[in-house]
Amino acid sequence: MTDSELHPYVELIAREARRPVVTDPVARDRIMAAVRAASAPGHRFLFWRRAIEPRSFRLSPALGGLLAAGLVGIGVIAGGLSTNRDGRAMAGQSSVAAAGLPVSDTVVKFVFLAPQAATVSLVGDFNGWDASKVPMVRTPNSGLWTVTLPLTAGRHLYQFVVDGTWIPDPSAPIAGDDGFGHANSVKLVQKGSAL
Amino acid sequence: MIPLPSRTFLNVPRSLRVGALLLLTALPVAAQETDPCFKLDQPTKYPVESIIDSARTLGLPWMPLRSQVCEGIAKTKGDGKRILAALRDHFNRLKLAQTTLGAVSDDELEAAATVLKVAKPSQLVAFRERQKGRSDLEAFTVWTDLITRGVPSEDAFIAISKLWRDGADDATFRSLWKDVQADISQGLNPGAALQNRVREAPVRATAKPPQPEGQKENQSSR
Amino acid sequence: MDMSDDAADVQRVLAGDVDAYAALVDRYYDRCARFAIRMLGNRDDAEDALQATFLRAYKALNRYQERDRFSAWLYRILVNQCRSIAARRAHRERVFVREEALLLNAPDRTPNWTGEEEEFVQRVLSELDPLLREAFLLKYIEELSYEEMSALTGVGVSALKMRVKRACDRLRDRWERIKND
Repeated sequence: MTDSELHPYVELIAREARRPVVTDPVARDRIMAAVRAASAPGHRFLFWRRAIEPRSFRLSPALGGLLAAGLVGIGVIAGGLSTNRDGRAMAGQSSVAAAGLPVSDTVVKFVFLAPQAATVSLVGDFNGWDASKVPMVRTPNSGLWTVTLPLTAGRHLYQFVVDGTWIPDPSAPIAGDDGFGHANSVKLVQKGSAL
Repeated sequence: MIPLPSRTFLNVPRSLRVGALLLLTALPVAAQETDPCFKLDQPTKYPVESIIDSARTLGLPWMPLRSQVCEGIAKTKGDGKRILAALRDHFNRLKLAQTTLGAVSDDELEAAATVLKVAKPSQLVAFRERQKGRSDLEAFTVWTDLITRGVPSEDAFIAISKLWRDGADDATFRSLWKDVQADISQGLNPGAALQNRVREAPVRATAKPPQPEGQKENQSSR
Repeated sequence: MDMSDDAADVQRVLAGDVDAYAALVDRYYDRCARFAIRMLGNRDDAEDALQATFLRAYKALNRYQERDRFSAWLYRILVNQCRSIAARRAHRERVFVREEALLLNAPDRTPNWTGEEEEFVQRVLSELDPLLREAFLLKYIEELSYEEMSALTGVGVSALKMRVKRACDRLRDRWERIKND
């Protein structure tokens, strides 16, 4: 029974707090050991007047938590990665900057081979996994899609979205199941270079 | 959440007050647009924030958790139950990785948490013995990938941990991964591919000299 | 919950059957433990409170009047014990953190902890002033009426309502803070 006007966060706290706790059975044994060692309850009577009528006292009842199979039909990735080591922005970064990516002097090129695809975009932890943020560009007369963007040094997870289908990068290590039935690719970016 | 105007604020000329109020009104909307939890339903939003809050308090990298929420929204169209389950699992693995490895970089903790998707916690213990200035990112990344591609878990652990103990550098792990992956894509059995490549891989060690036998025993896996 | 079970067990204990008290302990221990842990924020203090509560209840069993609910009577002792212990220990209560099993002894799979919410809830509760926390727990975890809470704590109904409201306000403020981080 809860106040229907409780703020949802307060309701969450109450709900979690109502969960049963794990107790140690040994503690009960200790209580009984102490009880047995104590003298028996006395027999004096004390009249105990209550200020109010006794009401039913109901305790709340105890309540009481890729693999790249999709690659078939897409083709083998051929691209490598390159960086601009002097840190200058590569062409096309202006569209990338609009995606709200971090300022970084490490620029990474992503390449994906998809001759049959109509659209390919890059999605990852660097753009909020938003497929609209970093569209890739098809190289004329080839099936290669590329994009170059600045990334902060460190570990990044990403995938390609190819005509609406999420696909890991065949040229990169896989980070196991992502918890959503897909497999993310891993990019380890060192300052001034990419792996 | 629009803050109430303070007394000082009310002494400001009216035109400026109006402009400021308009700006303040716009801010929460902008914040909502960049807040990944904005798109979550209410039963999901609060447990999600509580998990991220817990991570922050425990000194765990919380940005990957937040990123996972965005990821989950994108991949499941906002399925709260699945997002919460994935987030809980991620949080638990981060905690376990932190307990195992202690003070390492956030990226290493994330990579170790990822390893725990496919490997046993007791195997991760083998990497507890830290070498100064050395990052385990590459080793953990390759380890996870190999098992995900079908290399038997025990084989992968033995290979990676041995390379690591022998002081293999990032480039060694990287080229091992490239070779094994190429072999697998050619149709070779993943376990066999790894065994072949491990046998022939020259170990380019980091600067640290090999340890005496007595110390090496401490690093043996359980 | 059958009141007559409680009364019958009390009578047996008073008649000399000490082991009959174990039935009462079994019946109420977990619920009392939940309150004590939420109130005190750590298991050691909670166990001290529970030990003291059940021992004190046993010694004072002759004073228990059958017309009263045993659970209410027991909880009155428990709430007072928790207050005593809280007053004695440091004001800033430590969060209850589940001990991770020694990895070398732990089963070789990632444990499916549901415990992160418990730690979280303990941390949040421990940020509340003890009197506010007590009122919040009695109202929303033990789900008592204000009259029952008043009988239990000796505090007036209006004061209790104010404490519960302030506790909810504090929690709401906390949400606003973490949401905007």
